[in-house]
Amino acid sequence: MTDTRANIHVPNPDAPTPLEAARLTGGARPEDIESLRMQAAVYVYEVPVRVWHWVNALAITVLIVTGYLIGSPPPTVEISEATNQFVFGYIRFAHFAAAMVMTVAFIARIYWAFVGNRHARQLFYIPFWRLRWWKELIFEARWYAFLEKEPKKYIGHNPLAHFAMFFFITLGMTFMIFTGFALYAEGAGQGSIYDQLFGWVIGLAGNTQRLHTLHHLGMWAIALFAVIHIYAAIREDIMSRQSMITTIISGWRTFKDDRVE
Amino acid sequence: MATTPNGFDLDNSGKRIVVDPVTRIEGHMRCEVNVDEDGFIRNAVSTGTMWRGLEVILKGRDPRDAWAFTERICGVCTGTHALTSVRAVEDALGITIPDNANSIRNIMQLNLQVHDHIVHFYHLHALDWVNPVNALRADPKATSELQQSVSPSHPMSSPGYFRDVQNRLKQFVESGQLGLFKNGYWDNPAYLLPPEADLMATTHYLEALDLQTELCKIHTIFGGKNPHPNWLVGGVPCPINVDGTGAVGAINMERLNLVSSIIDKCTAFVNNVYIPDVIAIGGFYKNWLYGGGLSSQACLAYGDIPEHPNDFSADQLHLPRGAIINGNLNEVHEVDVRDPEQVQEFVDHSWYNYGEPGKGLHPWDGVTEANFELGPNTKGSRTNIEAIDEAAKYSWIKAPRWKGHAMEVGPLARYIIGYASGHEDIKGQVEGLLRTMDLPVSALFSTLGRTAARALEAEYCTRLQKQFFDKMIANIRNGDSSTANVEKWEPKTWPKECKGVGMTEAPRGALGHWVQIKDGRIDNYQCVVPTTWNGSPRDSAGNIGAFEAALMNTKMERPEEPVEILRTLHSFDPCLACSTH
Amino acid sequence: MAEIETFYEVMRRQGITRRSFMKYCSLTAAALGLGPSFVPKIAHAMETKPRTPVIWVNGLECTCCSESFIRGAHPLAKDVVLSMISLDYSHTLMAAAGHAAEAALEDTIEKYKGNYILAVEGNPPLNEDGMYCIVGGKPFVDQLRHAAKDAKAVIAWGACASYGCVQAAAPNPTQATPVHKVITDKPIIKVPGCPPIAEVMTGVITYMLTFDRLPELDRQGRPKMFYSQRIHDKCYRRPHFDAGQFVEEWDDEYARKGYCLYKMGCKGPTTYNACSTVRWNEGVSFPIQSGHGCIGCSEDGFWDQGGFYDRLTTVKQFGVEATADQMGIAAAGAVGAGIAAHIAASALKSAQRKKQDSEEV
Ligand code: HEM
Ligand code: HEM
Ligand code: NFV
Ligand code: SF4
Ligand code: SF4
Ligand code: F3S
Ligand SMILES: [Mg+2]
Repeated sequence: MTDTRANIHVPNPDAPTPLEAARLTGGARPEDIESLRMQAAVYVYEVPVRVWHWVNALAITVLIVTGYLIGSPPPTVEISEATNQFVFGYIRFAHFAAAMVMTVAFIARIYWAFVGNRHARQLFYIPFWRLRWWKELIFEARWYAFLEKEPKKYIGHNPLAHFAMFFFITLGMTFMIFTGFALYAEGAGQGSIYDQLFGWVIGLAGNTQRLHTLHHLGMWAIALFAVIHIYAAIREDIMSRQSMITTIISGWRTFKDDRVE
Repeated sequence: MATTPNGFDLDNSGKRIVVDPVTRIEGHMRCEVNVDEDGFIRNAVSTGTMWRGLEVILKGRDPRDAWAFTERICGVCTGTHALTSVRAVEDALGITIPDNANSIRNIMQLNLQVHDHIVHFYHLHALDWVNPVNALRADPKATSELQQSVSPSHPMSSPGYFRDVQNRLKQFVESGQLGLFKNGYWDNPAYLLPPEADLMATTHYLEALDLQTELCKIHTIFGGKNPHPNWLVGGVPCPINVDGTGAVGAINMERLNLVSSIIDKCTAFVNNVYIPDVIAIGGFYKNWLYGGGLSSQACLAYGDIPEHPNDFSADQLHLPRGAIINGNLNEVHEVDVRDPEQVQEFVDHSWYNYGEPGKGLHPWDGVTEANFELGPNTKGSRTNIEAIDEAAKYSWIKAPRWKGHAMEVGPLARYIIGYASGHEDIKGQVEGLLRTMDLPVSALFSTLGRTAARALEAEYCTRLQKQFFDKMIANIRNGDSSTANVEKWEPKTWPKECKGVGMTEAPRGALGHWVQIKDGRIDNYQCVVPTTWNGSPRDSAGNIGAFEAALMNTKMERPEEPVEILRTLHSFDPCLACSTH
Repeated sequence: MAEIETFYEVMRRQGITRRSFMKYCSLTAAALGLGPSFVPKIAHAMETKPRTPVIWVNGLECTCCSESFIRGAHPLAKDVVLSMISLDYSHTLMAAAGHAAEAALEDTIEKYKGNYILAVEGNPPLNEDGMYCIVGGKPFVDQLRHAAKDAKAVIAWGACASYGCVQAAAPNPTQATPVHKVITDKPIIKVPGCPPIAEVMTGVITYMLTFDRLPELDRQGRPKMFYSQRIHDKCYRRPHFDAGQFVEEWDDEYARKGYCLYKMGCKGPTTYNACSTVRWNEGVSFPIQSGHGCIGCSEDGFWDQGGFYDRLTTVKQFGVEATADQMGIAAAGAVGAGIAAHIAASALKSAQRKKQDSEEV
């Protein structure tokens, strides 16, 4: 898989070495960095990642809305005799359907982390051991706090986004899948495949009321992430030195200036 | 030798007898007595040996949930704490309940009285008087005659029936596995019944065991289960729907019929079996007049079974309210549970801390802070007590006092107060019983008087049950099906700070819950429970409580076999889980 | 133990015919949900076994488990104690007291080493050296350990013995501790509920007597036959739940129509018990049928899962107390306000920057 155009790696004679910042944190190789001075485009998010992103965004939106309603049902409606009316049943069905889509898509996304490009893996690990990464995380936070004049350039996710995505999505969604399927296992019944796979989670929570509460809290965590994420995507699209929204649509990252750092 | 302010001469020089565990009661209790050479009890010490800390656990919780916590104070008097709790919370928040809710609550409370009294008499108390082993020697035919003479309308009275039971009993005994009867005091001369009476009563032990599974179903209908039915602040949780769609789950005609049939069963059993048994057995023990204790001098009742919802004035209650002190039956004092000077709890001899000796606290300001410490004269060790030191702290039960007096509560106290204040039904019943048994009024102040008052009360309560059932039907007929008032259900409608008190007459006596609510949460919750009164340890002035008083000066046939101690303690129907909570 | 009669012998000698004995066996089979092929098995078991001794001890509790037990309708409690088991020790019901009671306990432990069942109601408190619950002058936990040592199996009755129940609710002042945390070397059968249903209690005992084995337990140690489904799974109001038809307020029109109690805080969806199938007191009703939601009384720690009337339970953390939604909405509000402020600040900054840039030019 190629992720850059053939002609963009022209060495930049003025570039400072070793150009650590972007190299270590943004997933960039030296040759990528060399090219950053140009208004070049880098192919970052491959088709499966982009498709996953939008499928996932949709599934999660459905899950949040229906999940909220499961916790606080809409007012009673009397359309028909109870056996012929399935309002709350549909809400729950939508939740479970979206949950299945989200889970399968997530598994596919994990698969793609193995076979896709470098950027496909970024979501699944955090370079805790790298001081540099932490420094840039702080730098990015300072940029949001208006304490830095100018952000750095990144090919993949900036460290702050990376951090949030790892905790709220990679871990958060895993948490939602495990707790969600444990709840689902209760309906499927003891001995069902769901129960065999996820029933033990109930034991960890102690009782299922607590599990519901944890699952519910998880919803808020993910919902808050989504809000901040969308805001940040739009803002960065406007204010940073690189493309954002077009990137998650087309896969290509472009830059607004020639400076390296 | 020392005389207590409430008039008992204590002498702990004789032989110390320890009964631990006291059995056939609810919960954990220990009793120690000193017996002189002639076998008379000259000093009595009763100790509550469990504590769970419900008052501590309730702090900070939603007052609408408190009924469920306090209901778990006891599964024997199940529901009465819940009722007391919802009353306390409603009092604090100014919530009124609909008429049907009052009737349903009364029916449930009365049903508990009847049920609990029956189970107490047959399963917790009878073996103090009845010897099932002796029943094997009975002639079934003579037993049948006895049954028919004491209770002509009880259908189960044929010789064949008694023979079957006797056979079953015989096989049981001969199996070599005596189970519950193992190690009973069956050859103690304190048992006086002829074999036929023993067989009749043992048969009723079994009948009552079967029947009580039926009686409790009134709780199941209105509260969903028994033990521990469900209650609701603002009314009752079960809606009434006798006309409309989807009435399953609501109180409908089928449910009402079931309630009414159970009331009939209660009535039949109490009239045909319970009362006749008490008279018959009591007849053989007529001369055993020990155990009066405080009953002739200090009795307390809060009253219960309000005729109208939300009206707890004394003259509107079917079970009487009042206090008798200093043995003066001519004066029934008014009781005000809100008055900080009336009900107070002391802890000088209890395993709690107030920080100040001799201090009494009104329950609204009550403090529950555990402090387990044994006196210097304790025999044994901290975790292996051989003899308790009653001069120090010696019980998990606090010592409640009414205007400084140790009081007896319970069916006998209610009946003495009812009798003294001229309560028509009660007076009629008491006089009838005394006439039938040819006994003077003074016979009431005894262990057997306590047992008899309980039976009379069961009978009175079956009648009241019917009365409130009819009242509810009339009310529904008039178009009122309402069972709950939700105006102040939401905490945002509550005052920032308030306090309330709830009272009931639990099977074992006067029960009060005092609650303080702050910012929608329980700030303080204190329960003063019937067995807290009766099982009270000494106070700083040295007054002994009702259990201890009642044991005094009783003659024991065989001091090492505590039959007499059990008789008198059981006559109170002690509930230790209640007493200490 | 030659002098000890078998179950069948006792029944026969009580004048019960072989025919009604077999009928009894098939009723037992039916009560346990077993097919007719099990009847001979049950009969055989009853023909060959002496009554199993049961030692029933009480710790911190409210005795409602005993009370529930005697409410048993099929079999009747009477028949259980006279013909099925030998209840050799029970504070609540036994004739003997004090030393004589303790002697009965020792005698059974001695005589039936390894063959008696220990039934525990309530739990031991561990604070104050266990002296929040004293039996015979000593901590209850001593008696529990002593009686458990030679027991064949331990039954933990009710929420108290299984999980701690009300006395273990926060802040658990006595450190009331469930049985399985104290007795770790014996099979323990948890029969939770506050109290458990009478027929579930007798069902568990008769199962053990009949099949001479422990019931199959689920992950939490509860008999699968009674605890493998939630109240909600078999609740007769379930169609209203699926329809979205809820009681909105106590005693409203919907309450009278028997709609679902979910919004009134019903814990049926999170509670494993047999109430909606076996129901209570001979099938007369169960909490939901009588209009109140399930409070989850057979679940671990059900006292501390927030209010009984809240669908969403409150979480107490860092001194604040709120439901997941209240917390979420507060956080969303803060984030929303933060974003709005951030937008404003960003706009201001970039305006400043543009101005600077144009000035520099
Ligand atoms: C981002 C993902 C998810 C979100 C935001 C979400 C949100 C929610 C929320 C808020 C509830 C209500 C909880 C309560 O208050 O009781 C809920 C319930 C539930 N969720 Fe999810 N959920 C997610 C993923 C999943 C997954 C992957 C499953 C797996 C099947 C799942 C299955 C369930 C089930 C079974 C319930 C309980 C339904 C009921 O009690 O009727 N959820 N969810
Ligand atoms: C209008 C809606 C959305 C827009 C405009 C949007 C935009 C973006 C953009 C621009 C990126 C790339 C970020 C970067 O290059 O560092 C991205 C990545 C991502 N977004 Fe969104 N997003 C949206 C909704 C969501 C939602 C609802 C979720 C889930 C809660 C989500 C989860 C993610 C994740 C997990 C990634 C990382 C993808 C990867 O590395 O595989 N997005 N999104
Ligand atoms: N004492 C006491 Fe109770 C009663 N009756 C309650 O208030 O028993 Ni358990
Ligand atoms: S589990 Fe509940 S019902 Fe049983 S003893 Fe404990 S508090 Fe009582
Ligand atoms: S009433 Fe409770 S258990 Fe029944 S369907 Fe509704 S939520 Fe489920
Ligand atoms: S409260 Fe308990 S009794 Fe059954 S319906 Fe719920 S488990
Ligand atoms: Mg108290």
